[in-house]
Amino acid sequence: MFANDNLILQMQGIVKEFSGTRALDKVDFDVRCGEVHALIGENGAGKSTLMNVLAGRFNNYHGRITFDGHQVRITNPRQARDMGIAIIYQELSVLANFTVAENIMLGDEKAGRWTRKLDRAFINAGARDIIDYLRFDLDPDEPVERLSKARQCLVEIACAVRRKVKLLVFDEPTASLGSEDVDKLFEVIKDLKSRGLAIVYISHRLAELPIIADRVTVLRDGGKTGTMEIPECRISDLTRMMLGHDLAEVFPEKTNQPGKVILKVDGLSRPGAFENISFELREGEILGIAGLVGSGRTEIIRAIFGADKAHGKVVFQGRPIVGRSPYLCRALGIGMVPENRKQQGSITGRPVSENLNISILGRLSGVLGFQSSRRLTSQARLMIEQMKIHPPLPDIDIENLSGGNQQKVIVGRWLAAESKVIIFDEPTQGIDVGTKSQMYRLIVELACQGRAIILISSELIEITKLADRILVIRDGRLVREMQGPGTDEDALFAECVRKDNPE
Amino acid sequence: MRTEAKKSDAGRTKSPLSFRKLQKASILLLLVGLCAFASFRSPTFFSWTNLVDNLLTNAAALGVIAIGMTFVMIAGGFDLSVASTTAVCSVVLVLTMDALSPYGAALAIPAALLLTSLVGIGLGTINGMLIAGVGVNPFVVTLSTMLVFRGIALILTGGGQAKQVADINLRNQFNWVYDAQLPLFGQDYQVSMPIVIFLVVFCLGIYLLRFTRFGHYVFAIGGNEEAAWLAGVNTHRIKAATYVLCGFTCAIAAAIFVAMTATAQAESHVGKELVVIASVIVGGTPLGGGSGGLTSTLIGLLLLRVIDNLLAQFSVGAEYRKVVTGMIIIVVVTVDVLAKRRSRK
Repeated sequence: MFANDNLILQMQGIVKEFSGTRALDKVDFDVRCGEVHALIGENGAGKSTLMNVLAGRFNNYHGRITFDGHQVRITNPRQARDMGIAIIYQELSVLANFTVAENIMLGDEKAGRWTRKLDRAFINAGARDIIDYLRFDLDPDEPVERLSKARQCLVEIACAVRRKVKLLVFDEPTASLGSEDVDKLFEVIKDLKSRGLAIVYISHRLAELPIIADRVTVLRDGGKTGTMEIPECRISDLTRMMLGHDLAEVFPEKTNQPGKVILKVDGLSRPGAFENISFELREGEILGIAGLVGSGRTEIIRAIFGADKAHGKVVFQGRPIVGRSPYLCRALGIGMVPENRKQQGSITGRPVSENLNISILGRLSGVLGFQSSRRLTSQARLMIEQMKIHPPLPDIDIENLSGGNQQKVIVGRWLAAESKVIIFDEPTQGIDVGTKSQMYRLIVELACQGRAIILISSELIEITKLADRILVIRDGRLVREMQGPGTDEDALFAECVRKDNPE
Repeated sequence: MRTEAKKSDAGRTKSPLSFRKLQKASILLLLVGLCAFASFRSPTFFSWTNLVDNLLTNAAALGVIAIGMTFVMIAGGFDLSVASTTAVCSVVLVLTMDALSPYGAALAIPAALLLTSLVGIGLGTINGMLIAGVGVNPFVVTLSTMLVFRGIALILTGGGQAKQVADINLRNQFNWVYDAQLPLFGQDYQVSMPIVIFLVVFCLGIYLLRFTRFGHYVFAIGGNEEAAWLAGVNTHRIKAATYVLCGFTCAIAAAIFVAMTATAQAESHVGKELVVIASVIVGGTPLGGGSGGLTSTLIGLLLLRVIDNLLAQFSVGAEYRKVVTGMIIIVVVTVDVLAKRRSRK
């Protein structure tokens, strides 16, 4: 590596292991002052782990970090912050119960010497200075809980700038923003860059990179596959670097045949979340639902599954479902593989067999509800074999399985319950490419068996490659229906972010 | 788009804010309404004797503890050990006064009060260290210390006998803390000492919570502890301090209780921690912290006391009063949960 005075951060040979598996394998990464360095890779490629090393979230990493001319070992978040590193996560860490000014000045308040009285004038003046300096459109007295996510993000940036940040990391900031907000954010990032800040921009949206980034580093499976100057690289190269092979190899051939209507959603509404959603789902069909995070897509399928209350009708096999609840839907034959595997899917701390059988315990129990462990295990073995779950051990804790295999267990749960409709919400989030490919094959296979599939994914390519029909959700409304085969990923993205003409 | 964003902002977040105010106002309205109803039905309710001498004076000691509890709960914590802490403090107060009685009241009373305060602060520090320092769940810690402190009180009293200051003179002098009447509003409208003590602590509490950096950080920790810590706030110290403060308010309450009954019993105040926590919650400080305040707690406490007093006036038995109190808490908290759920999305 050649010397460069301009480097603010240099990470060399970073290794981080989680209970035996290597999340980062000798990764090199550097950032210059006044540049935006994009860090891309699939979910689980190690982007966030690398940045968490930088944020001081781990104290057992290996490798060398040089920051601002000094070699450092970052072992806790406070240290990282004090050095001038700030990370703006997707889940913003602002205080909702505080005002904009109080948030910006948090940790830097002044108090009277004897009275210990909080100096509110100092807070307001300090916050106003920062807001003026950054030319942000923020009211210091506004409670943060009243701000949109985009504006809360501005508060966090202001906060970081007040702390004299030198390196600012954005962790997928656009994943939950509308397109106007994205443009605004890009302006802000460019402005920060022109002030000499070093910026790391994590994303998996390749289309954004030419607009915002100067250089790009690609990670795959915990290793670095390369760093390039943006003007010199093509999107298709980046895709190949991210995946390790061409996309076409990952997706199976679609052989499913849509049949008769099995599920009909009519005028489903939940004030504040989504409005007047109507569509039909056929046996053997894969229906894609596309939209930005926060567009209401998860809320819609949760409402169909009865996890949330909503107005409107859901007709299953010709009969309306009255008093929808997950319990009732399960009994009828509707299953859902939820978005957040850790919190909503896996029953952690319990064995794989129980996780597989949880939806059919009633059927498996004998006299007086007695659960025969032999029966549970044999049933679990059946599913493990069918789903190719690895390792094929029914008695181990589900937490010991990889993300992809955990996902298979949750899908297996609904297969065991013989669900006729299976809803997948971000089924490939955080799982490796190999398992993803298996998941795609499985989804197509399920459809071929005549089951109806609803597929939600932020990775639009999955939807365009797998779905027969695509519903585009924007701001809680069903704005368009597109045909699956032949739809271009970029066109679908444009549809998801297109702004409505107000009135 | 800006207009659109603002619109959706307003739609999403205006309601919880107005709801907060609404909830606070509704509890206050409920309190006022109950008082109006009470004075209509019972001529004695609105008498100075019933309201000030009886209701407020009796509520004062618990009110003092509720002030400490409010700090703990706004910071997202919880303290089940307050009743036990108060019991230990009462016992210590009586035992020390008794032991120092030969030296005269001028020494015995201040010395005993000082030691009692230190004990309250010390017990609070134990809670604070375990919760903020070690990081054990507050529920588990204070559930354990609730038992431990109660045990200590029993040990100190040799197995639970009621302790009394033997020196009658000293005892009578200390009763001043409870019996003294200050003619704040003329001779006919005297205010008892416990109320004065409560008001002083309340004002200090308001200053500490609303106007100092410490109070600011208490709210910050309740809002998002991790963010506050990352912003450079010494969250461990602030959190521990709320428990210390709570222990101190228990010591003050112990002094009032001892003056009131002239005795200290190890088994006294059992279950009072729940009344205190209930007042804080009914007042509107949520279990996770982050919002709330001392005025809310005061309203919550008064609401519970007025209902209790009212039922007593109608000669409803203590057993039914418990049922009613429990139901009130459920109703208030249920309304809170429902309204929040509605306003969320």
